[in-house]
Formats: sequence, C-alpha cells, structure tokens
Amino acid sequence: MQYGMIIDLERCVGCHACTIACRAEWEVPVPYQRNWVKRLGPTMTKDGMAATYYPGLCNHCDKPPCVDECPADLAEMTFKDAKTGKTKTMEVAATWKDPFDGTVQVDKERCLGCGACADACPYGARYVNPALADDNSDGKADKCTYCKPRIEEGLQPACVQTCITGARIFGDLTDPNSAVSKYVKNGAKGLEVKDGHIGPNSRYFGNKKDISLLFADYTPELADMGSVKRRAMMASMVKPAMRKAKDIGLLGLAGAMLVKGLSEDEKN
Amino acid sequence: MAFNLTRRKFLQTASLAAASVPLSKVVSANTGVTKAPLDPKGTAGDKTVVGGICEMCFWRCQLVGKVRDGRLMKLEGNPKSIDNGIKICARGNAGVKLLYDVDRLKYPMKNVGKRGAPKWKRISWKEALDECGSKLKSTVDNYGAQGICVFPHGASAKYPMHYFERAVGTHNVSEASFFQCRGIRDTAYVATIGKAPGEKVDMPNTKVLFFIGDHLGENVHVSHIKQYIQGLQNGAKLIVADPRFSASAAKADIWVQIKPGTDTAYMLAIMNYLVKNNKYNKAFVEDHTEGFEEFAEAIKGWSLEKAAKECDIPAAQIKEVAEMLAANAPHVAIHPGRHVSWHGNDFQRERALACLTGILGAYYVKGGWVPPKGPKVKGVSWAKEDHGHKYNLNFNHEEDEKIYSNPPPGTPTELIRDCAISGKPYPIKSCVVWGQNPMQTIPNQQKMKDLFNAMDFVMCVDVMPTDVTAWADILLPEASYLERYDYIKKGTQWDLSKEHQQYIAARMPLVPAMFERKDQVYITNEIAKRMGHAEKIPVRTIEEMVDKSLASANLSIEKLKAEDGIHIQPGKDPYGIPEDFSVILYNDDLEDSGHPPAPTYKPVPGNPKGFARLLYGRAPVHTFNRSQNNVWLNNAMPDNPVWVNDEVAAKLGIIDGDTVGFVNSEGVKSRTTTTVKVTPGIRKDCVYMYHGYGSANPLLTTGVGTGVDDQSLITKLAVDPETGCHGMRNNFVKLIKDGKVLDIPA
Repeated sequence: MQYGMIIDLERCVGCHACTIACRAEWEVPVPYQRNWVKRLGPTMTKDGMAATYYPGLCNHCDKPPCVDECPADLAEMTFKDAKTGKTKTMEVAATWKDPFDGTVQVDKERCLGCGACADACPYGARYVNPALADDNSDGKADKCTYCKPRIEEGLQPACVQTCITGARIFGDLTDPNSAVSKYVKNGAKGLEVKDGHIGPNSRYFGNKKDISLLFADYTPELADMGSVKRRAMMASMVKPAMRKAKDIGLLGLAGAMLVKGLSEDEKN
Repeated sequence: MAFNLTRRKFLQTASLAAASVPLSKVVSANTGVTKAPLDPKGTAGDKTVVGGICEMCFWRCQLVGKVRDGRLMKLEGNPKSIDNGIKICARGNAGVKLLYDVDRLKYPMKNVGKRGAPKWKRISWKEALDECGSKLKSTVDNYGAQGICVFPHGASAKYPMHYFERAVGTHNVSEASFFQCRGIRDTAYVATIGKAPGEKVDMPNTKVLFFIGDHLGENVHVSHIKQYIQGLQNGAKLIVADPRFSASAAKADIWVQIKPGTDTAYMLAIMNYLVKNNKYNKAFVEDHTEGFEEFAEAIKGWSLEKAAKECDIPAAQIKEVAEMLAANAPHVAIHPGRHVSWHGNDFQRERALACLTGILGAYYVKGGWVPPKGPKVKGVSWAKEDHGHKYNLNFNHEEDEKIYSNPPPGTPTELIRDCAISGKPYPIKSCVVWGQNPMQTIPNQQKMKDLFNAMDFVMCVDVMPTDVTAWADILLPEASYLERYDYIKKGTQWDLSKEHQQYIAARMPLVPAMFERKDQVYITNEIAKRMGHAEKIPVRTIEEMVDKSLASANLSIEKLKAEDGIHIQPGKDPYGIPEDFSVILYNDDLEDSGHPPAPTYKPVPGNPKGFARLLYGRAPVHTFNRSQNNVWLNNAMPDNPVWVNDEVAAKLGIIDGDTVGFVNSEGVKSRTTTTVKVTPGIRKDCVYMYHGYGSANPLLTTGVGTGVDDQSLITKLAVDPETGCHGMRNNFVKLIKDGKVLDIPA
C-alpha cells in the first residue's frame, strides 16, 4: 500500500485550520512547520484571473531524496504490515520509507540533526529543531508523518480531521476503490520535480487555472546534491563526545532549575 | 537539552499556578537533566473533556478538549456536533495558545500612571471591586445612571451589559457588533421582512449564490463555510461583487469588479431589469409583498447603462447577472452580508438586498433565505426595567421621536462620544469597557481618546491586554471561554436538506481558570453589591445562570455532560412561507421618518486627487484584533500586506514586498509599516488590507506593531442616516515609501 493525501483546491478556502491543528497535535514550535498554506495570486493566467492556495506537506515520495542522504549509521529495523501482519527487516539510517505503508519516517533517537535530509527535500517539508539537540546531535529532523500514530489508532490525520471544507482526503493510493484513487483518476497530481521523477504522494486537484497557477509557482527543482552530501559527510565525522561541553552550555535558566530540582531529589 | 520553545514559554507563564508539564522521566547520561521525549506523544491518548464552546470568534463552534496531566493540549470539534462537527478553523485550533498566552491578564491591576501611558500595580480583587463600585456609584449619585457609558462585546459582556442597562439604567451602550458591524443589516431587514436575517441563506441547496462584498474563505465561520462549499460542490453558480479579487471572487463564475459604494445602484438596475422584463416572481410578489407598484415606479430610472456608468462595470454583465438570477429563481441565495457598515449609505444597500430577495421570491424556499427552526432556551439575566426616554441620546424631545429612526439596540456611538466629550446635553463621567477594544473597533481613535480623557473613571475587563486596556484606571482579568461556564449555543443541523435536528450546548470549562481570573457573573455581582443593587442580583454564580437557562429546555449542566456536551432532539421542516409573511418593498414608515421609502442609491464621497480609497476585510486566521497576539496565528499571517493594483504600482515604482506606511486625507499617518502586495486583483482607485493589525500596546509582546492598524487611518466619520451606525470606507490614503509620500495616479 501507499498512503497519500489529496488536496482538493475547489474546496480549499485557505483557512489554515490544517496547519494550526498540526501544531497542536504534534507540539510543533513556531517558526517551524510540518505543513503550510501559501496564498497564490490574484494574478493573471492564460485562463483568466486566478487566486488559490498551496497547502503543502511531506509528499512521502516514491523515491524520497531525503532518505538517501541520511548519514546516520545503519541499523536493522523490522517493519510490520498493519493489515496482513507480514514483517520485513531492513537496514535503515535514521530516516526511511516504510516498505508497507509507503510513509517516510524519522528516528529522532538516532538522528544527528545535520539537516542533510532537509536540504535534500525539494519541497522544504523537513526542518531541524535545534531545541531538541541532545548528546548525539545538534537537533532533530522533524516532518509530517501522515499522522502515523493517529492512523494506527484508527483516527484521521489531524489536518484531515479539522479541514473545515473536506478539502483534505487521506487514504491508500494502491486501493483502486479508495477516495484518493478516485481523485487521481480524475486528474489529481503531485508537484513532481522539474526534470526528475521522485513520485510525490500528496496530490492536488482543482480547476484548470488554479492548478496551472500552483504548478507554475511551486514546481520544485531537485536540490544540489553535492552540497547536501558534503553536509552529511561532515555530520557523520563529528564525534558525539565533542558535544558534551556544548550540551551544558545550552542548558539555560529553565534547564538549570530542573538540574537543581533533580539534585534535591537525590538528597531526599 | 530537549526543551522545546513552547514548553519553555509555557513554563514562564504557568509554572506557578498551573498544572505540571508532562515531561517524561528520561535522564541524559551526560548532564543528568530530565528532558522531554524527542517524539511528541500526540493527543490520541489524552483525556477528552466535553462542553467547550469556541469564542475565538462569535460563531461558537462546539468543542472538546484534549487534556494531558491537567494541561489543555488541543481543541477539536465535538464529534456529536451537527453544526461544525469534528471541524474547527485555524483560530479554533489556536485557542490553546490564547489560554496559555504569556501576556494574558492575570491579576486585577490599577493604573498608577496616566491613561494611555499606564503604569500597572497589582491589587487585590477586594480593592479593585471597591474602587469600581465606589467610582461608578459616585458617578450615578452625581450625574445619574446616564453618566455611565458602556462598550461591551462578546458572550461574557451580556450579563454586565444588562446590569448597566436594566438595573443601573443607562441607555449609553454601544456594541461594536451592531454599530460598527451588522446592525444596519438587521434593522434594514426588519424594515423589510420584519426580522433580522442573520446569514440564513440555504447555500448547500441553492442554484445561485449572490455575494456583495462577502469574502467567505477570508471570512471564516465553520458551518457557514461548510454550507458555502457544499453549495458550490452541488453545482451552484457564484456571483461576487467586490472591488477586489477576493477569496470568494476566486471561486466565482461571475466577478463584478464594482466601484466601491455603488452596490445599491447595481442592485437597483438588476431589480429594474427584472421588473421591466417581467422576470420577477409574480406569484410571490402578488401574495407576499407590499408596495410593488410604488417600488417599481421609484426604481424605474435605473437602466443597465446608468448603473454601468455609476458602478464602472459593463452593462452586459449586469444583464447577465440579472438573467442568471431570474433563470434560477426562487432558488437563489442573496446573502445579506455581515459586516456592512461601509459607506454611510448602507441601510439602503441592505434594503436593496432584502427587496431583491423578495422580487425573486427567494424567502423560505429551498436555496433561498430560510431561517432554521431551532430549539427554544430562555436566557437568564437582570430583570428589565423601564427607564424612559428622558436620557436617551437618540431621542428628539421636541419632535417626540427618535433621531435615528432605525437604530440597532443601544445608542449610536457618535451620540455617546459627542455627549461624553462635550458634556452636552448631560455629563457622562464613567466608562465601562467589557471585552470590546473600541480603539480598534470604532473609527477616529483621537475621538476615542478624547472620550476617555473626559472621564472620571474608566474600567476594562478582558482576557488580554489590548489597545483600549491602556486607557483603564482599573483593569480586571477575565476567565477565558475555555475556563468558564457561559453561553448556551443552540441551532440545527448545518445543511437544511439533511434530517431535521435541533441542538443545545452550553459552554462548560475544559480546564480551571488560572491565576486570579474571574467570570463575568462574579465581577458584575460584586460591583452591583457595591452600587446598592444587591437585591436585584438574578443569579449568584455563572453555573446557576446556565442551569436556570437550561431548565427552560428541561436540561441541566449535569444532563448535558452526560450527553457529551450537546443535547440533540428532533427538528422541524424550515421550508414553506408563513401565511403572514410579507416583504415591504415600499415602506411608508421610512418615508414618515424622512428616509426614502424604496431602496435608493446615495453616492458616496469620491477620491480626493492623489488618494486611494482604503478598503479592509477579514484575515482567515484572525478575529479582528483579538487574536493578533496568538503565537500560532501571528506566525501564520504575521502582517497585513496592502494590496496595490499592478499598474498603479508600476507608476509609483513600488514592487511586491516593498515596505510602506500611509497617510490619510486628513493628514493622519500610520504608526507602523507593512509590505506591499502587487496584484491585478484590485481596482486602481482602492487599496486593501486585513483589518485588526498594528496593535500599539507593548504588553502584547507578539502582536505589537505587526502590520498596520487600518482603523488608525479611518478618521473621517460617516454615519448611516437611518441607523446611526458608522460607515468606515470613506477614508483615503497615500503610500509612504522611504519617507516619501507617493501620490496615487488617477
């Protein structure tokens, strides 16, 4: 299966409910974001005056360029198909594409925070949160998970649940009877990169002028992989032990208060 | 160290009084410090608390809260809701950031500095209430009840407003929701169909949606947007008249790029065309209208060509619109609008909308204007008392009639301000501001400051600091909508074509109030006791108020809780014209009051040379100024770019993203700057910006100085002659770039 999301621009009113619900659900701190709404136009297109929206999020691509660039040591992980119970064991870095549901996920425990994946993503769908820096990293990469933990609980993704016009539709693109597949049959398409094929699975449906405006403004190019690779290599060379001193420096006042609290606990 | 930003900010505000923060006990090997889990838990496992009623705006969607270790993590639509359902908008979702806003008012405060330049000293509730009670009582003792003026807004302001109107006895109450917003609409429809129209158009089931300035999509109320989009999905055509290519215009079949202020001329031409060409609904006009002949006679001069010239749009397009309406009548949704205080000629525009709906026969039919049949719940408040007309500023004692013949409830704002500033015909010496921010709801900020400076006493009650709270002597912190019992929301299923159902939901706290915040019943009652009205107090607590009110529908707080916060019962079919329903096309009473009996176009002042008309509207992520300090919403739209026509911009030499300030035709400059949005989607003679930005109060650490305060540039006053409500779109601006004032080319 391959999870995917449809954004129906005929329904979308650009209200931002999706982006704010995501912040609340996953405690995404300002100024970072797992999803976004950009306002396009009004501008003149060949089909007339147009104004629409670019509600963006991770595309959980067929060939995600972010996954290949992760410099973290490989580790064995066993994946399980929620439907059949079938398992598959693979060696993965700190980010991977799930072999069963097609989502792209991050292991924050092993993430080095180097940002190579964020640089590799042509959509800007990843960010590194420096506030999550720890003994092993300068921060942690974060991104839309298609609300995998909610899906596993039988819930909708938070953005889909709150979308006031039903403009966001989530489901299995490999199931021909799913609502998302029907949209694809009717012409919903992803923002594929220029001169490449990475297979974005968040797809857009709308009238001709709105779709042409969106694709004209936001068709991305593949990142310069040379600089991404250099960054990844640098990150893998830095030894975690070097970060100890810096870690304490980053504590700040709030952290110091907690340290005090802990040491008092020890006394008691 | 894994302290994310939200948590650190939360600790600053709430560590003293609030619930503990849900930290997992993971200890770093290197530092021995407790850190947050790297992956947020998500809210799926959190406790669900029912009974929330949103008040990030006034639409009041039904909520549930997700609570973790005593902290409200997230708000969602109540799954039992037949109104908004599980859906809430950006503002609704951001309610948790209002709840835990570090800048929220926490304690009663006394201004030991000056009004407008305050120095705040924390005081006890007793001292604060004693001060409010004695100062207000002194005003009443010396000047009479009319010596108090009140500027209320929102659900929490109803109870205190009723106290001051009914028990104390002042007429001098100005609600922004009426005098700067929808009051004109309501009274114009009352003068036409006998009732206020709300926004009760049956959009999901209509064939044509007709909007004058409505910008749904930028203006977001959840069930209303659901209806709108369902209508479009069902194949309805959309006609949008707006000088700007608004969010609605972008979805329209016909965009009428009308000249501001000329909407009535446009509708008169449509109506005249329908009458002349026998395309109106004759059966409905025969059975359910009054004064058709006189009406037809009064509007007969409005040819398509005349209106085309006046409105600066093609005659053929007016005809196209008229034909589309006629072909689909009566299943057409003529939207009455909401914020309609635009140009000082708005009563006539609203009358035209109501009459257009009438001659199309679009009342009480599928897809037309249809009031849903909701449940009955009685309100509980202060007992009504008759205080006569003697001190009613909207009453001409010589003529023994009202000055403004068709005002909404309360007293027109300018009458109050003029009286307060001049002391004539009587002194007004105390001002109570409750939930309203009149610095940014009412035009001409200098006049508002003059009012405050003329007072002996000013008190404000709010959840947040705003630009008006800086003018208070005593500032009281109120429990927010998430922390109190309060409003009872009732209604029907959102789509009238679905199973007829009614619902009743009461606001119940999702978390307890923090710090020393109190609800409106407590505050009002304590002031009432000190003013000598203890025996008139209708309820002792806010729970009692809600329970008494619910009892009128055989419900209680306990019963509602057991029903997951919302009571649902069978509804009634809303379609079908009541026998006594009548549309007064030609209104003799209006004529008796000196106003046109048929809808009449009154031209508005034109642009002074070198100036553009300043237009404003809603941002989808904000409720005016109220939500500006919300960290999440501020981040979503941090400023209010000014829309400038692309050809105008080219002549001025400004490009998209430039930073500009403004000066208006009366020489008033904006305090701050904003960015430029260059677009072909606005007429050359106007500029447009979102309303509510540019707060001046430095206590709003996120919202202060972000974007430009449109209201600061609206200084020239226009007052609607029938209603006494303001018109706020007759102000004109030039852009200032790099200190240089730029003339707008004609």
